[in-house]
Amino acid sequence: MIEVQNLTKRYGEVTAVNGVSFIAKPGQVTGFLGPNGAGKTTTMRMLTGFMPPTEGKATVAGFDVFDQSLEVRRRVGYLPENVPLYRDMSARGYLMYIGEIRGVKKLRERADEVLERVGLIDRADSRIRTLSKGMRQRVGLAQALIHNPPVLILDEPTIGLDPFQVLELRSLVRELGRDHTLLFSTHILSEAEQVCDNLIIINQGKIVAQGAPAQLRESLASGGRILMRLDKEPFAALDTVRAVAGVAEAAVEGDALVITPTSANVDPRPALASAVIAKGWKLTELRPLAVNLEEIFLEVTRREQSIALKAEMEAAQTSAQEKAAK
Amino acid sequence: MTDQTLKTHSEDTAMLHEPGATGGAAPWFAVFKRELALYFRSPIAYGIGFAVFMILGVLFNAYLASANGQATADQIPSMPGLITFLMFLIAPLITMRLLAEESREGTLEVLMTLPMNESQFIVGKFLAAWAYYTVLILLSLIYHIILSSIGIPDQGIAFGTYLGAWLYGGAVLAIALIWSAITEDQIVAAFLGAGTILVLYLAEAAAEVFARTNSALGDFVRELGLRSHYEATMAVGIIRAEDVLYFLLVIVGALFITTRIVETRRWRA
Repeated sequence: MIEVQNLTKRYGEVTAVNGVSFIAKPGQVTGFLGPNGAGKTTTMRMLTGFMPPTEGKATVAGFDVFDQSLEVRRRVGYLPENVPLYRDMSARGYLMYIGEIRGVKKLRERADEVLERVGLIDRADSRIRTLSKGMRQRVGLAQALIHNPPVLILDEPTIGLDPFQVLELRSLVRELGRDHTLLFSTHILSEAEQVCDNLIIINQGKIVAQGAPAQLRESLASGGRILMRLDKEPFAALDTVRAVAGVAEAAVEGDALVITPTSANVDPRPALASAVIAKGWKLTELRPLAVNLEEIFLEVTRREQSIALKAEMEAAQTSAQEKAAK
Repeated sequence: MTDQTLKTHSEDTAMLHEPGATGGAAPWFAVFKRELALYFRSPIAYGIGFAVFMILGVLFNAYLASANGQATADQIPSMPGLITFLMFLIAPLITMRLLAEESREGTLEVLMTLPMNESQFIVGKFLAAWAYYTVLILLSLIYHIILSSIGIPDQGIAFGTYLGAWLYGGAVLAIALIWSAITEDQIVAAFLGAGTILVLYLAEAAAEVFARTNSALGDFVRELGLRSHYEATMAVGIIRAEDVLYFLLVIVGALFITTRIVETRRWRA
């Protein structure tokens, strides 16, 4: 169980993580989704006790990450981004080193057991430098599992792997999710959708949406923008579409039209369809824009950005007005 | 992997390892063992050993030849004393890798999320370096054995010399380790380490300059330096508590500073 309340990390002027709150439950895979630099790694580093939060509170397995850091560290397995390993050690040697520091009993058997689990037992004695990227990733994962922790935190575990290795690792993550509290980060949307039971979308240090992938898709898709494709040059249809009742704005994006309804509970799709048919055009596609996570993600992050932009412009305006008043 | 194997796995690991349980040796010992083993697998340790014993061997031979069987006990060259002089070069080479590499490779991030304090980690690293140095010092006993076989060296002086050189080495290694924590670049760490140790080694010369205007300041600077606690005392067989204390305090102080640096690096990372 990971409980995070209003977690914030500032580096001088820069706020890397800004008031993040969420809960990751045992037996579930919780996904942390966001573009690079969104604050995923910083949040994970605070949860593992690697760095202290500036503000807020987080408990992992019932212990506070700041006040009871050592207790937290005993219960967390952590795979950092880029998987730092000692290249001159063998896979087994590395696991035994980490296990010894962690005070794992029956160390050699446990190391072999974990290597077996990540499918690396036949390369146990190879130097880590001779292993492929995918194998190193699995050594890193084995390191996180060596002490059988209740909580696993994996930072972009599939980055830099080939498609086949990615599939393998995803199924391993899902499997581990059944008997661990598993928090994992990614910037690949399809991956988050496949692997996670619970999804947290983070952008510029803030949580912009969270929930089960299916639930997120539903709540964000309804009342959202609409995508329409015709067998016709989209620019030619722009005026017709704009005249339809319930349409606030229409714009061309690629070969399709993107339509914003006047309000979230208005669905202009039937009216749009009849207008198009009345013109004698052929309708090839008409659907809510945010149907897969990819689009939800773009929607949510774009919305955030436009809100931020608006606030910035307003602030600039007021300050300009203040100046003028002086 | 099937559900069956998964199940048996969880069952027996639950028995094997309760989260939070500790067994086996302390974390620092694991770090110490790995680092020490690494010294004896890495070319640099053998390179340092080779260079040191080549220099000592040549000088020892030259001394013996020039003494021509006539030297008295206090004229016999002190090989550990020579090592202490060479330490301004050797110590940074021994310690430069220890922390710089961990932070450059990112392995520090894994270590700092293990249930281990920074101090345990740094003590483990330092003791490994000191243990390697201890082996160097022990190997240099060969010269004492040779001397004993051809003459009658003063055993008391020899004991003081070796004990002093051992403590001196510990202090100097701890100082050099600070720089390995500060910079990720091993070469930079080595140069700055060598510079710091040389300044402390030459403090006596600076003390003389200060003493001309202010004798108290001169004394203070002299006591800060490394040589006044070794060459004038231990190297001639005088073992004073204050000198032993000086070296131990330098070790503890330097390790404390190193710990703090690693901590703040992590907090800002």
